[in-house]
Amino acid sequence: MFTRKTWAVLAAALIGSTALSGVASADTATMWVRASGTNAAAHLVDLWNATHPDKIELTTIPDNQMVTKLATGVQAREVPDLVSFDLIYMPDFMKAGFLVDLTADLKADPNYASVAQAYKDIATYEGKIYGAGFTPDVSILVWNKDLFKKAGLDPEKPPRTIGEIHEDAKKVRALGGDVYGFYFSGACPGCNIFTSSPMMVAAGSKILPANGNDDALTGEGVKDVLEAFKAMWNEGLIPKNAQADNGANFTSEFMTGKIGVQGTGGFLLSELKKNAPNLDFGVTFLPGAKEGQASSFVGGDVVAIPAGSKHLDLAKKFIAWELTDEAQLEGLAKNNILPSRPALADNKYFAADPRVVTTAKALGIGYVPWVYHFADMVNSDSSPWINMFQRAIFDGDVDGAIAEARQKMKEIAGE
Amino acid sequence: MTAAVVATGARALPARRKRLAPSALLASAACVGVIAVMGAPLALSFLASIKTPADASAIPPHYLPQALSADNYFKVIGYEAGLATYVANSGLVALMTIVACIALAAPAGYGLARFDMRGKEVAFLLLLAPIMIPYQALLTPLYLDFAKVGLVNTRVGLAIVHTILQLPFSIYLMRNSFEAIPREIEEAAMLDGCSSLSRLIHIFLPLALPAIVTVALFAFINSWNEFLAALIFMNRESSFTVPILLVSVQIGHHGAVDWGALQASIMIAILPCLAVYLALQRYYISGLLSGGVK
Repeated sequence: MFTRKTWAVLAAALIGSTALSGVASADTATMWVRASGTNAAAHLVDLWNATHPDKIELTTIPDNQMVTKLATGVQAREVPDLVSFDLIYMPDFMKAGFLVDLTADLKADPNYASVAQAYKDIATYEGKIYGAGFTPDVSILVWNKDLFKKAGLDPEKPPRTIGEIHEDAKKVRALGGDVYGFYFSGACPGCNIFTSSPMMVAAGSKILPANGNDDALTGEGVKDVLEAFKAMWNEGLIPKNAQADNGANFTSEFMTGKIGVQGTGGFLLSELKKNAPNLDFGVTFLPGAKEGQASSFVGGDVVAIPAGSKHLDLAKKFIAWELTDEAQLEGLAKNNILPSRPALADNKYFAADPRVVTTAKALGIGYVPWVYHFADMVNSDSSPWINMFQRAIFDGDVDGAIAEARQKMKEIAGE
Repeated sequence: MTAAVVATGARALPARRKRLAPSALLASAACVGVIAVMGAPLALSFLASIKTPADASAIPPHYLPQALSADNYFKVIGYEAGLATYVANSGLVALMTIVACIALAAPAGYGLARFDMRGKEVAFLLLLAPIMIPYQALLTPLYLDFAKVGLVNTRVGLAIVHTILQLPFSIYLMRNSFEAIPREIEEAAMLDGCSSLSRLIHIFLPLALPAIVTVALFAFINSWNEFLAALIFMNRESSFTVPILLVSVQIGHHGAVDWGALQASIMIAILPCLAVYLALQRYYISGLLSGGVK
C-alpha cells in the first residue's frame, strides 16, 4: 500500500518534527498573537521579514486560550520570544512575573515617549515598563447614513448624547420591518466593556475597582446608560436576538445595513469597506449624558517578551522597530490600522477618509482600566459586569442590578 | 439505497409484494425523513459556505445564497500557514495514532482475552482508568512532563497523547472481539504447532479484522477532531492541526464569528473523515453482520 517514497516522506516528517523540538535556528524568533489580532500583527511581521535578515515567525492562538497557553508555557519554559495579547491582561501578567523588564530599553527609545498614554499606563507595574503598544483598537459609535436619510434625520448629524441615541433609534425603527434603531450584543461582556462602558465613563462614572477598598460603578453614568438601553429594549428598538448575542453577531448586525446606531471598534471600518462596500456610514465618539461628553475604551494588543525568551536581543530589536515611523505608517496606517503613536494619526493614508481620523483621535480621549482579575470581573460569561446588563435591561431591575454588580466586583477586586 | 432495499425485498417475496407495499413505503418515508434530518445541517453548512462573506453573516439568514462566492474557501485555504500544512500535520498525527493504537491494543487485548494470569481483571480496570477521568485534567501535568523530555511541539508527542486518550477504548474493543473467537480454532492451531505469537498474527488478527478497522476508524476520527491537546502541546503555526485552524479562522473581535469562513472550514474538515469512513465501511459492516450470525 505504501510506496518507498511514501515511507521516505513519513520518515522525513518524523525526523523533521523531532528536530523542531530542539532549539530553533539562531536568526528566527517566534511570536504568538491572539487570533483577532492576527490580521494587524501579520502586516507588521511581513514588513519586518521583508526588510530584515533575522525573521519573525508568527503563530496564531485562539483568543480565549491565550492566557492559559501562555501561563502553561511559562511553567514549562516553553515560551515564544515575543507575545502580542489583549492589553487588559497586562497587570495580571506583570504581577505574576511572566514578562521581561523592558524599562531601560524603552526609556532610552525616543519613539516610546510618544506612544499613547493608555498603553504606557497599562504596561507599567511598580515603576517598571514591561511592554509597548502594538496593534491598537479603540471603540467608536457608527451610524447608518442611508437609514438616517430615510427616517428624515440629518445623515451628517450623529447623536451627541445617550438621549439622542434613543431619539434617533426611535425614528429609524419607525421605518418598520426588520430595520432597527440600535444594536448591542446583550450577552457579550467584552463587547459591552468596549462599547457601552465608555458612555458611562463619559457621563462621569468609574467602572472597575482597583482593589477591595476601591469603589465600583460610581456616579450616575452607569444608571443613565442602562436606563436608556432598557427603554430602547422595551420600545422594541433593538432586535430580539440582542439578548442572547454572546458577541458572535457583534460585527455582522451592522453590516446587514438594517441597524441605525451601534457602538463598535475601529476594526469595523476595514471590515465594512471589504465586505459591505456600499454601506454609507459615519463614525463619531461614544457620547455621554450631556453634549460635549465623550470617551472611548482603548483596546487592542500590547507586545511583550515572555520570561524565558531564547532570542531576547532580536525580540527587543523588533519592539524598538515596531515603534518607528516606518512600521507605524507603512505597516499599520497603510492597512487602515491605527498607529499606537497618536501623533502619527495625521498621515497620508488616513487623510483620504475622515472616519479613520476620527477613530484615531478617539485613542487620545480613551481610557483603559488598570485592574487585576479583569477576566473575573468583566470577561467571563457569568461576570458581575454582564449579569448587570442582563438583569437591568432584559429583567428591568436597574437599581438592583447595579447594587449587586457593585458588591460582587468589590469582592473579586479584594481577592 | 432505500429504493434498492425495497426492490430486493420485493424480488425475494413476489407473492407478498402487494401486502408489503404500504409498510415498505412507510419505511422508505421514514428513511427519507431521517436522512433529511441528518443531512440538513450538512446541506445548510454547504449552502452557507458558498455565500459571499457579507451574505453569510446576514440576519435573519437566507437559506439560499444570493450570490455564489468561493471567498470563504480561499480564506480558509490561505489562512496563516496554509491549509496544506494543517492537513498534513493532522494526517500524520492521526496515522501515527492509528498505528500505535493497533500495535498496542491488539497484543493487550489478546493477552487479556486468552491468557490466565493473576490480577487480570485489576489490570484491565487499570487500563480503562484513563477514560474515567476528564482528559482535560491530564493535559497540564502531561505537558510539563513532555516539556522535560523534548516531546512538546512534536507530532510524535501529540500522537502519543492521542494514543493515550484512545487506548482504553481500543483495548476494550480488541479484548471483546478476541474473546468472541471460538476456542476450537485456537486449539486447532496449537495442535498444528503454532506459538502464541503466531496464533495472534495468523489466526486472531485476520479473524478480528472488523474490530481492528473499528479501532483504526475511531482513532482516526478522534485524533483528527481533537482540539485541546493539540492546542496545548503545539507551539508553532507550522505544527498546528486542523481543529486549531477551525477555531482561529472564524474568530473576530470580541468573539464575533465569521460565519462564512466557519462553514467553509467545516466542509473542508468533514471530507477526510467521510472518505476514511466510506473506505472502511465495507469491513465495518461485515464485522457487524458476522457478529449477528453467531
